[in-house]
Amino acid sequence: MTQLIWNGLFVGSFYALVALGYSMVYGIIKLLNFAHGDLYMLGAFAGFAILGAVGGVSSAMALPLLLAVLLATMVVTGLAGVTLERIAYRPLRRAPRLSLLITAVGASFALEYGMRAVAGADPRVYPVRLGGTSFEVLGARITPQQLVLIGVAVLLMAGLNLLVTRTREGRAMRAIALDPRTSALMGIDVNAVISRAFFVGSALAGAAGVMAGAYYGKIDFMMGFLIGLKAFTAAVIGGIGNIPGTMLGGLLLGLLESFGTFWLGGEWRDVFAFGVLILFLTVRPTGLLGERVTERV
Amino acid sequence: MRAIPLKSFASLAVLSLLVTGCGQGLLGGGDGAGQTAAGKDEPIVLGMLIPQSGSEAAIGPYMSNAAQLAIDEINAKGGVLGRTLELKTADDACDAQSAAAGANKLVTEGIDVSVGGYCSGATLPTLPIFGKAGIPMIIPAANSQELVDQKLKHVFLINGTGSQQAAAAEKWITKQGSKSVALMHDNTSYSKDIALRTQNLLEAPGGAEAAIIEAVTPKESDYSANITNVLAKKPDFVYWTGYFQEGGLIARQLRQAGYKGSIMVGDGSVSPKLVEIAGAEAAEGLYATMTQTPDTLEGAEGWIDAYKKKYGAEPGPYSNQAYDAVRLAAEAVTKAGGTDGTKVIAALEAIDGFPMFSGPLKFTPEHTLANGGFQILVVKSDKFALQDSLK
Repeated sequence: MTQLIWNGLFVGSFYALVALGYSMVYGIIKLLNFAHGDLYMLGAFAGFAILGAVGGVSSAMALPLLLAVLLATMVVTGLAGVTLERIAYRPLRRAPRLSLLITAVGASFALEYGMRAVAGADPRVYPVRLGGTSFEVLGARITPQQLVLIGVAVLLMAGLNLLVTRTREGRAMRAIALDPRTSALMGIDVNAVISRAFFVGSALAGAAGVMAGAYYGKIDFMMGFLIGLKAFTAAVIGGIGNIPGTMLGGLLLGLLESFGTFWLGGEWRDVFAFGVLILFLTVRPTGLLGERVTERV
Repeated sequence: MRAIPLKSFASLAVLSLLVTGCGQGLLGGGDGAGQTAAGKDEPIVLGMLIPQSGSEAAIGPYMSNAAQLAIDEINAKGGVLGRTLELKTADDACDAQSAAAGANKLVTEGIDVSVGGYCSGATLPTLPIFGKAGIPMIIPAANSQELVDQKLKHVFLINGTGSQQAAAAEKWITKQGSKSVALMHDNTSYSKDIALRTQNLLEAPGGAEAAIIEAVTPKESDYSANITNVLAKKPDFVYWTGYFQEGGLIARQLRQAGYKGSIMVGDGSVSPKLVEIAGAEAAEGLYATMTQTPDTLEGAEGWIDAYKKKYGAEPGPYSNQAYDAVRLAAEAVTKAGGTDGTKVIAALEAIDGFPMFSGPLKFTPEHTLANGGFQILVVKSDKFALQDSLK
């Protein structure tokens, strides 16, 4: 039982990190950024490239080095997110919603197959692996590395929450979410704020990508596809546009999958998880915490 | 040829048939010496439908490179019937629609024999397309039972089938004296087929018992939920029947979760990448059911070297089957004295003892291998090595 909960929370924290970027972007410009999962993939590859450039390291240094790589990767994917917004989404901001959606799908393919052209179709394996020996806590097997990863995820999410609720930048984001035109009239540089929101969201996805690469070891150009869908599901369950809700949605989806697998067997897991998505869309389309639609970011 | 009205052919296919038919008529008359200008100028074109994009894109180059290697070798020795061989590839993206489009493209390009097919689900819709055009198919990798269920005359499988692989797995599990077996598959028809067939074989009283059959979602990173399920049954043997990307992760995560028993993987997982993904520690001692590979075949060192020299990389999964498919196609065309589909099919059916990586070839009436040639490999210091040939 505790093992199931632990499994769910661990996977769920990855979902939550990726889902946050989805949710932020949707909250601000009402765009479902389908390329978001691919920024996670881009992060994993950027981390891989940086690690390769650094060269061989002893395993004792693995964790501090990975944290440094994590930060560098967040900058890289953040900038990639900004570029994506500038090239693909900004010119279409006034266009019908459907055009934006299709552009997002196109951007997703461009990133996937662009990476395939650069890095090849073969999966790559991280040179530094977070394996670790597990110890038991209340019947669940936990490795110190898992704790570190969850710790990093929680820190990032807490930081984001602070940014959005306590800073001028966050206030500007929330203002644009409410009404972009009035915000512009009030002297907010809307384009700059949206760019920075893309930077933050993409950086979080990149961080999740590096963490997944280092923990699971295998990365490939399609790795962002499924987690993009899962992150979307998590965001809808929690309340898309709502930051604490999205975090909750990610953790909840992880738990749902874990228990779904246990109760119904592996082949039913996704049926269970996406079934819950449909349930939410019909019964409570605003998600768990999405009630206060007036303040979306 | 067949009793198919001419108008149902695509116009270019008609053209290609006329060309080949014409060449063959001239050849028949002249017997060897009758290699006319037309016959000499026209290369024999082999078509290969493989995944070049999509989730299985990593496999495509392994197969097309090996096929090209075989073609270059045959051409260097003077080709087939004095004509050179040529390879045309098309992308099936491991997807039914793309595969049908790719097959049509190959037909209009006038291929004589098809030597492709990796994903069973993508290969299935191409059977009638090649069939209508009178093109024999030598399928190197795809091996779902569905491919042969329709008993199509032009379809030949040179990879061992699911039932042969399951039999090999059951034999080894029994030999190991295992009591409780967990079967894991990825819900694709290929993988599930092997798992279910193995489960059926294990039902015989006495030996090991199938404790659980667990399906996982391919292309994910975290299988801890599935592994918790599996380990709850306390198995002493885990058999994974899917592909290598998930196989590596599952082996690693099983060991991380404290599982100490045996792990075995199916032929889709036999790749150096599996060891890399699992990590040397988790992969050590892992078993695999596999047809003969270059590594386990005597005298194949030269082949691996040739491949490495040409492409700067090791051959991968199904490289050897793709290589054999081309050699077999060349052999059949030689025996048939031309590229006429019906004659090539007859030549393929008549083949007995043609040397391939999987052993001497003879087709069953179903057009599958009489002997799957499955053996047990084991990972020893990061490499798959022969453990037991199950003879």
